[in-house]
Order: sequence, then structure tokens, then C-alpha cells
Amino acid sequence: MKKIVHVLFVCLLAISLAACSNATKPSSTEEQKTADIPTEIDKPVTIEFWHAMTGNLEKTLQTMTQKFNDSQSNINVKLVNQGTYDDLNKKLMAAAKSHTSPVMAQAYEDWMQDYINNDLIADLTPYIQNKTVGWSDSELNDIVQVFRDENSWNNKFYGVPFNKSTEVLYYNTDMFKENNLKAPTTWAELEMAAQTLTKGNVIGMGFENAIGLNFPTWVQQAGGQFVDVDNKKVSFDSEEGKKALTFLNDMVNNKKIARLAGEDNYMSDPFSRGDVAMYIGSSAGISFVEAAAKDKINWATAPLPAGEKASTQFQGTNLVTFNSADDQQKLAAWEFMKYLSSKDQTIYWAQNTGYVPVRESALKDSVWLKYIEENPKYAAAEKQFDAGYFFPHLDGAFAMKSAYSTEIQAVLVGKKSVDQGLQDAAKNTQDALDKANK
Amino acid sequence: MNDKPTMKKTIKAILYLIPALLIIGTFSFYPIIKSFFMSFYTDYDYFKDLVFARGLDNYIFIFQDPEFWKSIQNTMIFVIGVVPLSIIISLVIATFLNQKIKFRGLFRTIYFIPFVTSVVAVSIVWRWIFHSQYGVLNYALGFLGISPIKWLSDPDWAMPSLIILAIWKGLGYNIIIFLSGLQNIDKQYYLAARIDGAGAWERFKNITVPLLSSTTFFISIVSIINSFKVFDEVFALFGGQPGPAGSAETIVYYIYNKFYGEWNFGVASAAAYVLLFIIFIFTLIQLYVGKKKVNY
Repeated sequence: MKKIVHVLFVCLLAISLAACSNATKPSSTEEQKTADIPTEIDKPVTIEFWHAMTGNLEKTLQTMTQKFNDSQSNINVKLVNQGTYDDLNKKLMAAAKSHTSPVMAQAYEDWMQDYINNDLIADLTPYIQNKTVGWSDSELNDIVQVFRDENSWNNKFYGVPFNKSTEVLYYNTDMFKENNLKAPTTWAELEMAAQTLTKGNVIGMGFENAIGLNFPTWVQQAGGQFVDVDNKKVSFDSEEGKKALTFLNDMVNNKKIARLAGEDNYMSDPFSRGDVAMYIGSSAGISFVEAAAKDKINWATAPLPAGEKASTQFQGTNLVTFNSADDQQKLAAWEFMKYLSSKDQTIYWAQNTGYVPVRESALKDSVWLKYIEENPKYAAAEKQFDAGYFFPHLDGAFAMKSAYSTEIQAVLVGKKSVDQGLQDAAKNTQDALDKANK
Repeated sequence: MNDKPTMKKTIKAILYLIPALLIIGTFSFYPIIKSFFMSFYTDYDYFKDLVFARGLDNYIFIFQDPEFWKSIQNTMIFVIGVVPLSIIISLVIATFLNQKIKFRGLFRTIYFIPFVTSVVAVSIVWRWIFHSQYGVLNYALGFLGISPIKWLSDPDWAMPSLIILAIWKGLGYNIIIFLSGLQNIDKQYYLAARIDGAGAWERFKNITVPLLSSTTFFISIVSIINSFKVFDEVFALFGGQPGPAGSAETIVYYIYNKFYGEWNFGVASAAAYVLLFIIFIFTLIQLYVGKKKVNY
């Protein structure tokens, strides 16, 4: 046994000495040429689009893609379902490592942050600005502002918004009627409604397990600032941060008029069983609640109640194209992105999925207006564009999110006091931010 | 058998070994060596395979990271909670299944099913069993006058729930191995012991346990290694989270999160090597104890 260990160590030492040769960092940042993109596709191009859409979402995407392929003579888009978002993320990383990236994929901003740092995805600005295939200024500015900002890094666009959602308040209309309540619009009304609705086995208010992740929403609603992006300083360990966490903690732990999804994973289940009278969750869940709540409860949605001010995070993925693709493929991907984000298609997508249209012109379009009039549940999300924000583009965003979300959760499951939790959350989040920006 | 190795024989042997070596080499040795080097990368481009600086920073980081210590602690609790109990329970069940009882084959199948079922499917069932309001476990405990336990949403109960699931899941495999060990014990010993007037407990204690020690030894090594590597169960039981408020985060979950979540490839590799080292130490201790206590 000793001998084996010995030999192993010697071997490892030998290889490690042999393998130690450092590369040198490229010193100058190369200026990218902006104008040189082809504007025509002359031979047939097939591009793969990796996505994570399932069920009805996937079917809708298939229909739209089919229509696109039929309209094109040279472009053929092949959809590849990669499972869940988690799977997609892992596969995209593995593909990048083995130099087999697809031409196009869905990606969240924090993935895009990593992709950009590693030079994996293409800057779309040359395509957007191109006179022949690009967007005019009015077409570009027609994209809802929060989505435009979300997709730009140092004034360059790296993505096109695709399936976008935000948080809404789901409420059980039967219970609300019984208690003569209206959808709450302020924190005070929310707490009052939760108090009134909590009786017997019913708990008034519900939060998703991801409540920790959405803590920035609450801090901003309380009038505070979550993180000072310019100075890279976490700033939620403040009067307002404390107010936000105290509000949540009081409802969940002290007054016991709210609960987390906990073992149920998502609030849609206890909500449709009638165990919870209202909850805050993603608008992308509307179709899931619809399926689960059928013939059990009547329900509706409303914009999030506001604190000192209104605030709601916009979520969902964008379309990106990888640097490994050749110019023809990139142009084909750009054509497909333009198509998916066009007014008609974004309306069609929103109508069939519960995501929000990404264009201002779509929001004012008569087709869409008529649709939300008939389906008011879908209207709550888009009413909140003015209050919309996105998590700032920071290196280490993923680590920051898991740092504060764990601590906030620890407070809400009763493991830590508000002060302790807030302090630890701020410290760990700052550490994560510092480590990534060293 | 005692021939000296010759060139011809060695080449022949290598030909037989090559297919397996290629596979193990590609999927085990290469990643093991690669991640060893990666654990020293401090400034690098993972995708272009460029390294700008090496050092011990990754190791320094994890040893200063409370989250890493927490995950080691959780993993230890898991190993200590799962391995001894799992061995005792499966030994008892195997002993009963080794008796002449009716429907023996059926029982053996039943106990083996958990092992061949996917963790994800099993976890869905256990999520329901553990449910605080609608779960069958709390319903049963209710008859004993025990008030409902929040198995999956109380951080203090997250580890016990995980341990219960893991013990149940591992039983089938251990029982099968124990059964084969039991069947290798010569019946003569039991007959002789009966003639000497030994009772069932004494026969079990003085014949079964010592003669089964090599099997027990094998099972304990395999279970300890597997328990240190626990991941699937955590991921599936808590819906992709490491338990409420991170209360069931294990070392492998930590590695997973650093690698896939944060793209901290160096830190993930360093943590993987610490895990390898811990398992290595435990296995050495076991081999040492094994040499002294096991009858072959």
C-alpha cells in the first residue's frame, strides 16, 4: 500500500512539473470591425437553435419556426430541445468547451455575462445597425426599454429578448369575494388581506421558494437600493433593506399569515388546492396555474402591490448567437431573431404562452388589446413595465444571487434573526462580488 | 500460476486489457489528472485552454469558505447517519430472507426494487411521503400522537429526511450482497452449533457475523465511498435546491454549484480533490482495520 502511494505521488509531481508552462495574456483589446458583415445568404444554411421550451411553449415555438422556414428559401432553422434551463446551461457550457456550440440558443443574462467574459457570444450591434438587414432606430427603440437595457453591455447588444415574464399577484377570487376584499395594491393592504384570509387551514399569502432571489424587488419597493453598480458595493444592508425583510419575516414567522412554497416546490399547487388565498409568482406560470386550478378554484392576477414605490423584476431568456458560427450562419440567426421579435410573432407568442410581448407597438396593437380584454389574467404583467428592473450586469452575479438568497431564506424559515440574516447576506454577497472582480 | 512473466504473455494480457483501459482512461484517469491541474489554475481561460497563472488560491479559498465547511459537515452527518444503519438493517433483513420462508423470491424482489428505480422517480414519491400536511409519514406519526413534522421545509429536518431516503434506497443492493455472503457460509457450522446447544442469537453472533465479515467489509467500503459522493438524492428530494436555506448542501453539491453555476472551474476542482483526499483517508483507515478484523 505504502509503495503505491509513493509511486502515485512521484508520478503526480513529475507531471505537474512538466505541465507548468504559463500562457501570456493578450495585452491589447482588439478593436472590432463593425461594418463587415454579409447581408445576403446565397446558399442554403441550416442553423441549430437550442432551447428549453416544453409542452405548449414548445409547440408554439415549433409552429412559429415552421412558418419561418416556409417563408425562407435559404434558411432552415432546426429546433433542438435540451431539457430544462439547467440542462441547457450545462450543455451550452460543455459545447463551448468542446467547440461544438450551436448557432443559436436561449440564454439568461447571468449566463450571457459569463459568455461575454469568455468571448463566446457574438456582438449583435453590427447586425442591428446594418442598413440592409438591421433595424431602423424606431424599430430598435420599439423594443421595450427594460429589455433593451438588459441585453446591452457597454452599449453593445448581445441578445434579443424572447420569452419574458415578470412577477404578478395571483389571487383566489372566491375567497376575496367572501371576505369583501379587493386585490391589494400596497404593502399595508397586502398584509391586511393576508390577515383576513388566514383562517382554518387556509393561509393568506404565499411566496415562492425563490423569494430570496427576488429580495431586490422588496428592497426597492421599500425605497432602497440593492447594489451600487458603479462602486461595486452591496447596499441593501440599510434601513430600507431591514424594513423589507422585517415585513416579510413578520408575515411568515411572527403573524403566520404567509408561507413559503417549501415542500410543494411551487406555489401553484397549494394555491390551486385552495390552501393559500394568494401568492406572488412568475407570470410565466399562468398556464400552469390554469391547468392545476381547473374546476377547483376561481382566480385572477394583479400587478404586484407597491411599497414606497413599485418595483418588479423582469425575467426570462434572450436569444443569442455564438461566435463559433460562420458569418452566413450568424446572419441566418439574426434573420430568425428579427422574425421572433417582430410585432406579429411576439403577439402570437404572448397569446399562446403567457409571456409578455417585447415590443411597444405590440402592446398597443389592436389584436393584443382585444386579447387581454378577453383574457384579463394576461394583462397584469405588462402593466408593470414602468416599474420593471433587471438584475445589474455584474461579474459574479450568480454567486451573489445564491449568497443572499440562502441567507434571506434562512431568515424566513426561522433560522436567523432579521438583523443577523441581513448582515450575513450583505457580507456574503459583497464577498462574492469582490471575488469575481478581483 | 507461478510462472515468471514473459514478454509474450504481457503483450497478450495488454491486448485484453486495452478496451477497458481506453474507456477508463478517457472517462476516469484523464478527468482525474486534468482536474488535479485545474485545481491550481488561478487565472485561466477555460474554453481556450489557456492558463495565465497557477497557485494555491483555490485551496486557500475553499478552506476559508464557511459554505465549504458546512458542506463537509453535512456530508459527514450523512455518512455517519446512513452507513451503519443501512448495514445493520440490511443484515437483519438479509438474515430473515435467508430463512426458509414463504414468498422468499417475492420479498427479495420487493427489497431490490428501490435500488433499480431512478432516484428522481423515487424522490417524487418520497416528497409526497414527507409532505407535512398530506404526507403518509406524518399521518402515521399522528397515530402515535406526534405532531406533524416539516420534513422537507424545516432546515433541522432536511438532513434526517435525506438520510431516511438514502437508507431505504441503498437497502436492496446491500441485502443482495449480504444474501450471497450468507449462502457461502457452510451449513455445517450451524448444525454443529445447534448440537452444542447454541441459541439463534448466539449462532448469529458467533457464526454469521464473523464469517460474514469480508462481505460486511466490502459493503462498508462501497457504502462509505458512495455516501461521500451523495448528490442525486439532494438534488431530487429538494427540487434542485440544496435543502431549505442550504441546510442539506453536500460536498458534491458544492462542487456542482461552483462548476456549473459559478463557472469557478478551479475552485470546483480543488473541492473535488479535497473530497478525493477525504475518501482516500477513510479507505486507508478501513483497509487497516479490515486487515485486523476480517476473516477470509
